[in-house]
Amino acid sequence: MFRNNYDNDAITFSPQGRIFQVEYAQEAVRQGSVVVGIVSKTHAVLAAIKRNAEELSSYQRKIIPIDTHYGVALAGLASDARVLSNFMRQQSLASRLTYDRPILLSDITSRIADRAQTNTQQYGRRPYGVGLLVAGVDAKGPHLFEFQPSGVTQEMIACGIGARSQMARTYLERNLDTFESASREELIKHALRALKDSLSQDKELTIDNTSIGVSGLGEDFKLYEGQEVSDWLSTTFENRSGESMEVDNDA
Amino acid sequence: MTSIGTGYDLSNSVFSPDGRNFQVEYALKAVENGGTAIGIRCRDGVVLALEKLSTSKLQKNGANKRIATVDRNMGVAYAGLLPDGKHFVSRARDEAASWRNTYKGPIPVASLANRMGSYVQAYTLYSSVRPFGITAIIAGWDAETDVDVDGVVGSGPSVGSGGRSKGVKQGGPYLYMIEPSGSYWGYYGAATGKGRQAAKAELEKLELGSKDSAEWISLEEGVKEAARIIYVAHEDSKDKDFELELCWVSAVNGPTGGRFEEVPHALKEEAERLARKAIEGDDDEEEEGKMEE
Repeated sequence: MFRNNYDNDAITFSPQGRIFQVEYAQEAVRQGSVVVGIVSKTHAVLAAIKRNAEELSSYQRKIIPIDTHYGVALAGLASDARVLSNFMRQQSLASRLTYDRPILLSDITSRIADRAQTNTQQYGRRPYGVGLLVAGVDAKGPHLFEFQPSGVTQEMIACGIGARSQMARTYLERNLDTFESASREELIKHALRALKDSLSQDKELTIDNTSIGVSGLGEDFKLYEGQEVSDWLSTTFENRSGESMEVDNDA
Repeated sequence: MTSIGTGYDLSNSVFSPDGRNFQVEYALKAVENGGTAIGIRCRDGVVLALEKLSTSKLQKNGANKRIATVDRNMGVAYAGLLPDGKHFVSRARDEAASWRNTYKGPIPVASLANRMGSYVQAYTLYSSVRPFGITAIIAGWDAETDVDVDGVVGSGPSVGSGGRSKGVKQGGPYLYMIEPSGSYWGYYGAATGKGRQAAKAELEKLELGSKDSAEWISLEEGVKEAARIIYVAHEDSKDKDFELELCWVSAVNGPTGGRFEEVPHALKEEAERLARKAIEGDDDEEEEGKMEE
């Protein structure tokens, strides 16, 4: 096949100026289960669907708290996310030790981006096969950053990555204008509704597979799982029996 | 391209039988896929402008800046692979800082261009790395001094062994553009990225390269032209939203106080308003022109 010559490593340009290994790494992100992030003036929220390999196994962790003021949500290779999140923890602690201040989210995102870039320009490495949403509050307020395996990072108002995340993004785009002034609870509900839109027909949000991370002004980043998310699930999707009837909120 | 399938284009640093490095040429393709970036060297400063195509409505407006400051009097804009651009900027900052450490003063723009040219060129030498997928435009203002300099080419010896020219003026506005091959030149006006052809055509209409620097356009005119040119270059990808980024640098007694910084909000708004008007006006003019014929 025409493509194959140029996709053997991450440092070969195709005649069109593309790097296929990086594009394949981005495909790994699209295989991961969906995660969503939203920011308002006061809060930053992450929400994720956890997957389990089989009925009896546990669910894969999707949201990783890094420092007291922020956390990340991942889609793609979890082991790559572990490498990156360990690095982020080190950098965050280093910032607190050397400068006595929590690291800026723009700084930490840009540092993992630089690492990811190196992996696409030097031989013997491979791109990270994971996408991250970095969310939290720093000295400049609440922030949400998206990180991609190519090393591209963007600050976002809202974002969804992972399998079928286009549906979540459509929901987010439709409600974009309401986020800035939304309350903490409204923001979480939006995140859950966006998540649900990305779910395949036979699945639904349960206390076992839903994970939520919240941080705000004067509120440390906290991960909510299991029983702690049940109230949000029931208030967001009022009818919980079987195929729940979602209230159409665009009306 | 005839290179495809010949096997000489699969690895960096390999010469083809006719002496080309195809990986470098492919890197240029990556540049051509990115948004337009331009630089204009004016009488009293330099302007950098950038077309930042938005990939999603969910992006935060006004965040994600892409023109970077390297030293207080110097900045970089680039088109191509954004992470490569960040790598480039990071190295440029290291070079500027190391120069300050050694020579106790800011790096001249020409020296930074030279060092960055060498750095980029080094990424064409080995099969273990790939070339940069960017073309970078460096703009800066060197402090002006009147100094006696050794052997200026063409002046001929007048004093001492090597010859010495009295009171040669150094410093002023400088503009350089560096390509993935590592080659670089000084420019009066530079353009790269997807809309470079249209941008170049517009740059060539401006009064930039004449002998007498008094005839060059002013910095403020440069800002307005830069905004207009980015809008003109965007015409080909009209369907996509974009944000304009504008930065400038002048002498210490100029509007930026010798610093490389963002163009103030009010002036940027005005420049964008004029740019939009100019583009709409263009259409009218064309129609009028036809009527006259």
